[in-house]
Amino acid sequence: MSDTETESDIDSLGPNVRQTAAELATGDRTETLLQTDGLVKQFGGFTATDDVDFSVAEGELRCLIGPNGAGKSTLLNLITGSYEATAGSIYYNGHDITDLDPHERVSRGISMKFQVPSVYGALSVRENVRLPVQQFADGEERRRLVAEAIEAAGLTGYEDVDAGQLSHGQQQQLEIGMAAALEPDLLLLDEPVAGLDVAEREAIAERITRLNEEQGIAFVVIEHDTDFVASIAEEVTVLHNGEVFREGPIEEIESDPEVQRIYLGGES
Amino acid sequence: MVNGINLALQFLDSFAFIVLAAAGLAIIFGIMGVINLAHGEFILIGAYTSTLSVTHLGIPLAVAIPIGGVVTALFGILTERVIISGAVPNYVSQRTLDRDIIEPLYDRLADSMVATFGLSLILTQGTRIAFGNSIDGLSTPFGPIEYGAFSYSTYRIVLAAVSIGLLVATYYLFTRTEFGMRARATIQDKETARAMGVDTERMYMLTFGIGSGLAGLTGALFAPVITMRPTLGDQFLVESFVAVVVGGPSVVLGTALSGGVLGAILAVFSNLYGTFIGRIALLVAALIALRFLPDGITGFIEQLRKRRQESE
Amino acid sequence: MSSTEPTSAPNRSLPDRLRSRFEGPNTIGDSRGFWVGFVVAVAALAVYPVFGDGSQLSLFMVLALLGLSLSVVWGYSGVLSFGQVVFFGIGAYTFGVVSINFATPGGITAAVVAGIVGGGLSAAILGYFMFYGGVRDVYVTIITLVSTIVMHTFMAQTAGSEWAIGEAALGGFNGMPDIPVLTLGVEGASYQFMYNPFPMRVIGIGSFELSPFYYLVLVLLVGTYLGLRVLVNSDYGRVMVAVREDEDRTEMFGYNVTRIKFVVFTLGGALAGLSGVLYAARNVYIDPTVFSLLFATLPVIWVSIGGRKSLLGAVVATLAIEYLRISMAGELALVLLGTLLLVTILVLPGGFVPWVHRQIVDARLGPGEAGGPDAPDASSEVSD
Repeated sequence: MSDTETESDIDSLGPNVRQTAAELATGDRTETLLQTDGLVKQFGGFTATDDVDFSVAEGELRCLIGPNGAGKSTLLNLITGSYEATAGSIYYNGHDITDLDPHERVSRGISMKFQVPSVYGALSVRENVRLPVQQFADGEERRRLVAEAIEAAGLTGYEDVDAGQLSHGQQQQLEIGMAAALEPDLLLLDEPVAGLDVAEREAIAERITRLNEEQGIAFVVIEHDTDFVASIAEEVTVLHNGEVFREGPIEEIESDPEVQRIYLGGES
Repeated sequence: MVNGINLALQFLDSFAFIVLAAAGLAIIFGIMGVINLAHGEFILIGAYTSTLSVTHLGIPLAVAIPIGGVVTALFGILTERVIISGAVPNYVSQRTLDRDIIEPLYDRLADSMVATFGLSLILTQGTRIAFGNSIDGLSTPFGPIEYGAFSYSTYRIVLAAVSIGLLVATYYLFTRTEFGMRARATIQDKETARAMGVDTERMYMLTFGIGSGLAGLTGALFAPVITMRPTLGDQFLVESFVAVVVGGPSVVLGTALSGGVLGAILAVFSNLYGTFIGRIALLVAALIALRFLPDGITGFIEQLRKRRQESE
Repeated sequence: MSSTEPTSAPNRSLPDRLRSRFEGPNTIGDSRGFWVGFVVAVAALAVYPVFGDGSQLSLFMVLALLGLSLSVVWGYSGVLSFGQVVFFGIGAYTFGVVSINFATPGGITAAVVAGIVGGGLSAAILGYFMFYGGVRDVYVTIITLVSTIVMHTFMAQTAGSEWAIGEAALGGFNGMPDIPVLTLGVEGASYQFMYNPFPMRVIGIGSFELSPFYYLVLVLLVGTYLGLRVLVNSDYGRVMVAVREDEDRTEMFGYNVTRIKFVVFTLGGALAGLSGVLYAARNVYIDPTVFSLLFATLPVIWVSIGGRKSLLGAVVATLAIEYLRISMAGELALVLLGTLLLVTILVLPGGFVPWVHRQIVDARLGPGEAGGPDAPDASSEVSD
């Protein structure tokens, strides 16, 4: 599903982006997959996203954290196109996708799991998984992909059960499976382990890591559970009041006292 | 020919008509998220009740009108308990079948439309069966006002005054009373309101009662000037519906503004091209409004206000 | 659209493979028993004019097409439209106008096409206005309702002689009479369907006169029903259902939801237009009552009671309810209809036909075999 873009496309982007891409190009970072440039989102009088420059490299596993109301979900929604940006731009694989509809962005390789589990409750597990898969696979291959996705979600045997009857954890797994079945380059997960017990969280953490390592899918994961974040993240972006507060590898962020402070309350 | 006073009076007429027709529906839609397609029939109940009170019971009109409103309000409460919330049937089924058989219609907009349409069929035809194809109407009280070569019905001016009074009273209800505060909390955020101790069940029952009562009052008020037949609700239904949605989330201001804007369009076009075209113009204006102002007029105003706040 | 999908049994016979196109989770009836019953029912309909009032039933079957158009749009894509009658009426009037102006077999045939196109085109215009304008959910419903009233009010005041298109006067409340009899084909090679009974003689029973129009409608109804079954069970049909269930989620799987709603709505309009053409052809007359509030809600009533998510429900309910409505004394009929509608929405919101089907399936599976992780693959799921 991924476009194959070359270095030269980065030249077509603005100076901000080129600079950040160059920064990211050090170390074993390769292409910038996603880049936002001065992204702003206002709801009436309230600014949810305030001049955010956010980027994700190919194959990167980045977590997006921050206190409630920091604008994390808003940022994901801006990336998918569910929200229209008030100002700023978004680049994906070198293309400006700021004006594209959500379904167009999805077909370019961005996939998302919503905060509220939204599988098709009245449809069976099999039919749920079929929906993303049927777009690009037919016949025997389709059946194989559907079966694989169901197995990867740990739902073998539940093919004909209505998705609405699954447990919360199973629904989360199913939804991740459906989002991954699109074979995206970038998978956005909004609180994938909310309301799950420890065992279920580990299962999801393992799933995410596996998808990231085996299929090279880049992730942006919003989560509150610090253990969970610590177990999967390579890079972390901390949002606060709609702005990027801190950014860096997990080790740095973990030990940063400023980050602790904004979580424990008090304005910064 | 457009005569200034004529047009002004026609506007007042249209304004009153829309505001009175829409008020009850606006309250129900705003607070409960229910679209009552039987609204026209509640107007019917009020109209018939007050008319029959005068012709058969000899009650003076001034008393019969509020009676029309009250009877309809009671009927509204009954409807709410049996159909909208399903409380009564569920009460029975809990004790016999050990489960609920009806799920409430709150926020089920499409289903509430269909269900209340069923109710409206029952009421219209029921009225026809009980009272025939028409009943004797009342004569318009007060007689005409003469001005120059024209005359105008005084009663219609009274209606216009009543409609304004109604808006004021509703505003009062929403901002100065306990009920009003709870109602506004419920409109804003149902769950939070409930968490704060608002008895939403009771609120809905009262709301539907008040909304129906207003509809009945409208029917009773208009009774002397319209033909008394079972389908009289039809002329109110679509206009009131449309006024509510175009008005937007703010019940009082929204109804007043749609009454003003739609009423003006209705009056101008009726004056120039006749009542058919007037009605079409109102509906087309509503279509355009629904398309470009998805949150209604007051929703749009709210957005403008917030945007201006931000830039200051 | 998917190609034929082989299943776990690679050596399925041709009839079975063919059958799988018509079956799936989105329609009722996927057992041999169902199809046998279906054939019996169609045969019964074919023989009915011999024993009963074929002219009355042909009307109900025409209306069943209208019911199907709403089922497709509402039950399968989640758009509650009170405006199907707008496209129905436009189809009817277009047929009337074109056929009156070109009263030759070729002209009348063209009029049929024009009516269907008229229905589809008007739906496309309204659909474009709404869906591409971002109008959603209940506001779509309200706009369709308002459109119906606008059409009603507009057509009602077309009584004057200036309201004529060519030879065809629109006629206001009085309607447009003298629509030419339905004839398909061209000069020299045409067949007249209305007022042209053909004689049939069955040895031992007698001889009858059968109406070709009746059989035309029957063929169209059965054909449409089967065609829609294929559609809703196809890949596209599954996407339609996904749109009904959760628009936003479906958009996030890469589907252009706006375009899907637009296309389905247009299809529904064309189908309603076809129904309107047949209606005008049958009555050789059309008037604005087709745009009235009551008529606009009838499709919603049929489909709600029959089961909105079921094509079969739409057809069965239309036939049954219209039959009841006509045969009962006028006033009582509407009271009963209203009560039936009310009770259905409150107690059986899924409608009658799916409920009956569930009872049959449950009885067939036996007690204690409801779906679950240990359930055997439901006998119905052949494809996938």
